Amino acid sequence: MRYKLPLIALLMVALVAVPPLFGGGVQYALVNALIASLFAAAFNLLMGQGGMLSFGHAAYFGIGAFAVLHLMQAVEYGGLGVPTVLLPLAGGVAGLTGGLFAGYFATMRAGVYFSLVTLALAELLYSLAPHWEGIFGGEAGLSSMRMPFMGLNFGTTLEVYYLTLVWVVLCLVILYAYTRTPFGRLTQALRDNAQRIRYMGYNAHATKVVVFAISTTFAGIAGGLMAISSETANYSIFSTHISAEVVLYTFVGGSTVFFGPIIGASIFTLFGFVVSGATNAWLLYQGLIFVLVMLYAPSGIGGLIQAHIDQRHRLPWARLPLPYAVLAGGGVLISLAAVFFIQSVEHVFSNRYQTVVTRTGEWPDYHLLGASWDPLSPVTWLVSLVLLVPGVIIVRKAMARIHELWEDQGADVYESETAPAAGGGH
Amino acid sequence: MEFLITSALNGVIYGMLLFMVSAGLTLIFGMMGVLNFAHASFYMLGAYFAYTLSGIFNFWIGLLVAPLLVGIIGILVERYLLRRVHFYGHAHELLLTFGLAFIFEELVKLFYGDYPVNYRMPDVLNFAAFNIFGTDYPFYRVFIGGVALAMFISLLVLLNKTRVGIVVRGAERLPQTAQALGHNVPLVFMGVFGAGAALAGLGGAVAGAFYPTNPNMALELGVIVFVVVVVGGLGSLTGSLLASLMIGIFSSFAVGLDWSLAGAFDWVGLGGWARSVGGLLTMSISSISGAMPFLLMLIVLLVRPAGLMGSKN
Repeated sequence: MRYKLPLIALLMVALVAVPPLFGGGVQYALVNALIASLFAAAFNLLMGQGGMLSFGHAAYFGIGAFAVLHLMQAVEYGGLGVPTVLLPLAGGVAGLTGGLFAGYFATMRAGVYFSLVTLALAELLYSLAPHWEGIFGGEAGLSSMRMPFMGLNFGTTLEVYYLTLVWVVLCLVILYAYTRTPFGRLTQALRDNAQRIRYMGYNAHATKVVVFAISTTFAGIAGGLMAISSETANYSIFSTHISAEVVLYTFVGGSTVFFGPIIGASIFTLFGFVVSGATNAWLLYQGLIFVLVMLYAPSGIGGLIQAHIDQRHRLPWARLPLPYAVLAGGGVLISLAAVFFIQSVEHVFSNRYQTVVTRTGEWPDYHLLGASWDPLSPVTWLVSLVLLVPGVIIVRKAMARIHELWEDQGADVYESETAPAAGGGH
Repeated sequence: MEFLITSALNGVIYGMLLFMVSAGLTLIFGMMGVLNFAHASFYMLGAYFAYTLSGIFNFWIGLLVAPLLVGIIGILVERYLLRRVHFYGHAHELLLTFGLAFIFEELVKLFYGDYPVNYRMPDVLNFAAFNIFGTDYPFYRVFIGGVALAMFISLLVLLNKTRVGIVVRGAERLPQTAQALGHNVPLVFMGVFGAGAALAGLGGAVAGAFYPTNPNMALELGVIVFVVVVVGGLGSLTGSLLASLMIGIFSSFAVGLDWSLAGAFDWVGLGGWARSVGGLLTMSISSISGAMPFLLMLIVLLVRPAGLMGSKN
């Protein structure tokens, strides 16, 4: 705990001081990472704290974006005097309104049925929006311009970055503080045993609606920040992909820890920024990472970190580095195998390559990882296997050793993993 | 009259197709409590496998072998992935299938590209079944309906008239008791999951040759199949059939109708006001036909979550 505050302070200094050193591209990626972090944290208020798994959070993200765009248009054309820095508030208000309405209905159901209601609501909006000229601007959507305010004209990405940073940090502080309030505790109790809360005299449904609405408020603010940054939005913001992404971020990061979703969202958006230029298969990697985390580390990256912090006094730190290094080595081998295979497939099955094949009837060599490979030679496809098999063996051995070391000390590896991750059941 | 009959025919056949895919989903949910997000991916895989096989061998081999391959994938998914996370609860199983759906879609894009592939029916099947109001009605639509009907009847017979069916129904209703009576319930689960996947794969192999085969087909059909399963009642096969037909017929009729809420307001003299308000009130049914299934699903979820025929909630 002692290290927490200095660590956060250090992070804050870095977030303020480092971006000016980079170009607009990196700054833009950071803006997206911040927005995704806020969106994931808002989503996780509902999921991690309230145990309600929403499959339609894009709806509130989108509502927030459209509300802000309408306001921006009013400022731009109507001369309305709302300063640009306060625009995200409109997203929050829209998210709150939408959340109160949708939450009232969605929280009447629990478990899978709750997820289905949220999914249906988002799909409803997604299919209506392109036909709704007045509010969502039809298929083309809405666009506007950021107006200058007090000498800041928000023309550069850096200014947008700082605006986003201030809003995101502010919102995250509020969201964190929320988990510390009595109402935040009530939310958690609701997740663990709604029946009991009812017996204790609380109104479970009303509480759930409030939690839902708080979550959608912050999702709306995140959407509003997105609208300010990209100055445009259309109906595709409601699509299942946006709802799906936030689920992915949250669970890879770990839904049981407050900072988990933020970690997940930052890693995925930034890594995506680096990788997406090099390969179209980025989403495939994202899906693979998600499934691997679900299978082998159900509490996510944040959960793993938390488990280490919880057990820090009991762990044999001197004996751990070696198996951890071996584990990392095995992980690298498996990743290399996966990357080699996927990139080879992407290359050989690509449109361009296949055109060459049909035209000349030959399968030319392709270049990958600094070497050239013959797609028809079995050696090429054996490379993945040669990397994969030892990788898996090494990882299994290292994992067994790590479990042994943890259990030797009486530390419970699964302590934070057996906590109910979601409402579940039906 | 022409519109009525053609729409009804098309609707019934589309409904039968929906049923082919939703049958497995509803059985799996009823039995294991897992809402399988990857189920529509099995439909997509069926279409793509059949496309590849029909290119190498012929259409019929594709039609027969593709569902088997998809069934094997389904079995592997249940045995090695789902069973592993079962301990963490239903939410985790749901998330896992959700991730798998993501992976299947991206894998298809990786191998086949992010555009439709040219999967066609063979020329033998490309003829008019009959002539109706001067237009030819394609035989292949009838073929899709026939396959679905055959599947429904054999499924019904299998579940109600055979020993296997009794064990499956027993394992669905009271898994612990079935286990105590000496039946291998995990094996039954694996079999049902595989069979459900194979049925969806068959649906894809049959329908992919008529409707477009592209990487979005899983997502597009997936949400509609959820609607079918929810409206019919999670876990009920007959309910699924009814809901499939209902939604199939509805969507095929809605495309041709330009009624709107403003039109309804005309009857009480408020049409002019409704048109001046615009927005939702002036959208025609044809333009919002895509939204209707979700509205239906919402209403069912809120009013009667057990669905039309569901018994469990």
